[in-house]
Amino acid sequence: MFTNRARSQWPRVIPIILLLVGVAAMIGAYQLSLGQLNQPGAGLWPFIVGAFLTLTAAVLFFVQDPSECEQWNRRALGIVAGLASLGLFIVLFQMIGFLIPAFLMLALWLKTFGEEPWRLAVPLAVAGAVVMHFLFVVALGVPFPKDIVVTLFSALGV
Amino acid sequence: MDALNNLALGFSVAFDPMNLLYVFIGVVVGTAIGVLPGLGPTATIALLLPVTLTLDPTAAVILLAGIYYGSMYGGTITSVLLRLPGEAASVVTTFDGYQMARQGRAGPALGISAIGSFVGGTVSVIGLVLLAPVLADAALAFGPPAFVALMVLGLFLVTSLGTGSTIKALCMAAVGLLLSAIGQDLVTGKPRFTFGQTSLFDGLDFVAVSMGLFGVGEILYNLEQTEKVQAFTSKIKNIWPSRKDLKDSSGAIARGSVLGFFIGILPGGGGVLSSLASYAMEKRRAKDPSRFGHGAIEGVAGPETANNASSTSGFIPLLVLGIPSNVVLALLFGALLVHGITPGPQMMTNHPEVFWGVIASMFIGNLMLLALNIPLVGFFVQMLRIRAGILVTFAVLVVMVGVFSISNDVFDMWVVLVFGIIGWIMKKTGFDPGPLVLAFVLGPILESSVRQSLLLSGGSFTIFVTDPISLTIFIALGAGVILGFVGRGRRRLVANKQEKVAAE
Repeated sequence: MFTNRARSQWPRVIPIILLLVGVAAMIGAYQLSLGQLNQPGAGLWPFIVGAFLTLTAAVLFFVQDPSECEQWNRRALGIVAGLASLGLFIVLFQMIGFLIPAFLMLALWLKTFGEEPWRLAVPLAVAGAVVMHFLFVVALGVPFPKDIVVTLFSALGV
Repeated sequence: MDALNNLALGFSVAFDPMNLLYVFIGVVVGTAIGVLPGLGPTATIALLLPVTLTLDPTAAVILLAGIYYGSMYGGTITSVLLRLPGEAASVVTTFDGYQMARQGRAGPALGISAIGSFVGGTVSVIGLVLLAPVLADAALAFGPPAFVALMVLGLFLVTSLGTGSTIKALCMAAVGLLLSAIGQDLVTGKPRFTFGQTSLFDGLDFVAVSMGLFGVGEILYNLEQTEKVQAFTSKIKNIWPSRKDLKDSSGAIARGSVLGFFIGILPGGGGVLSSLASYAMEKRRAKDPSRFGHGAIEGVAGPETANNASSTSGFIPLLVLGIPSNVVLALLFGALLVHGITPGPQMMTNHPEVFWGVIASMFIGNLMLLALNIPLVGFFVQMLRIRAGILVTFAVLVVMVGVFSISNDVFDMWVVLVFGIIGWIMKKTGFDPGPLVLAFVLGPILESSVRQSLLLSGGSFTIFVTDPISLTIFIALGAGVILGFVGRGRRRLVANKQEKVAAE
């Protein structure tokens, strides 16, 4: 009973976060100097907007209908893992270039979210990474970070 | 005739072979992606925004507009065949369209949708040509206070007419306004809320924010909800509706065109409101309302027509007043801004080729949709077989790389990821990302209008009351808000009574 109640109350956190953001924005805007009404400073508009957010968030806290929110479940955890993998992709992309992180991300997502067997996921991931490399780097000339695979291949003289 | 000259200019732009090609690509890609599982019109446009940045402004908007109504039509296909509406406006189509498909009449349902959409779109284009110059002339008399009032009205209408709770939408609008304030203040040159990040100096990138919220956020949400899509195997025959079908639905199409046109002009009025209104109207007018929900062709023809008519006339507030009335138009608005064109009363004089070219291209695009529908519907149905998991995986990677390619900055990838997370959580907690993006787009313009008003008045907020146009708009807004509250309260009372009766 208690856990159920606690779970149905979790959306209440959101108006509180929004309220804190609103207050923080007002403080930040105040420090930017509000100026005069006939000579508005950089902070006047953010201050007005921050006040508006604080007000609406406060109202929301009292009138929110928690049933509009979905419960957390196993699939949601999977999504969180997927998001983490995207973060890792960005970090690796910056460090070692596109090909390896793209392959890893594609293979992982195809296997877990696509529920494809490895024998399909791995070739698709290889093909996808290579095709997109050629599309973006070779055809469109987007300057990706230095790719270790490309460096290796060119060192081998391929 | 001024209108005819303008239209001639528009058609000369739209019939440029490259622009024709972009209309074609837009319509086909839009339909295809609209059909693909897990991607609706907003996600599609958000995903393809970076592509359009390389084109010239006319081509970019023509392409995006084509994708817009193309994906609407794609949503119709899945609504009729699989009862999977791609977006809110096609929900209404599932009521009778899916029933028709179950009775083996999928062909006529799709055919009448295409015809209705074409008629509705055409009527709207004609209305647009007649009404837009008049409105733009009137809008030229608007001063900064009137624009502030208009934008506030637009934001309020979008938040209250949209799906979900009004207070939540207002909250999101506030967040959007706040996010748009990030970056250098244009008047004083001071950096605001940049936390020392040089990448934030120019503000958050609109494309990255919308790709995160709509691209990644919606994809993640759909991924979580995965229902296994059943394959559609039966063949679709007789797309061209019979004479009786046409006769049955001609009234619905005519009414839907007019209704959709006028609803589309209202800020926040496009899409779902027009199709719902048309459905309700047809049901009320019908001799035998019980047929509705069991495959009545008017129930498909009317809403589809109204939907397309309103999405076309929605371009009036966007292009003439600079106020996008729904999320997709907000994305188009952002794309225009990126190209250095500010939609508004001056657009027609400063960029007539863009303005009239886009309008003429919409007419051509609707014609193409009608022509493409018959030979290609089989091909589009085949696309339903692509598995959502594979599609989504590649879409996410394309988003990540695509956003990097805008300014070759890894920072934008993080923006997409963060807004993807925010978008996903918003979806889960019943917040609509629409008002946020709309406010984000309008934010800088609203701020500068407020500042100009304050300068004009010497620092007094009374200017919003003494300016007659602004006063009128604010009074209308106030009346609308009060009426809305009263209406809602009454509805709640009735609902409570009914519950009590039911409980007893």
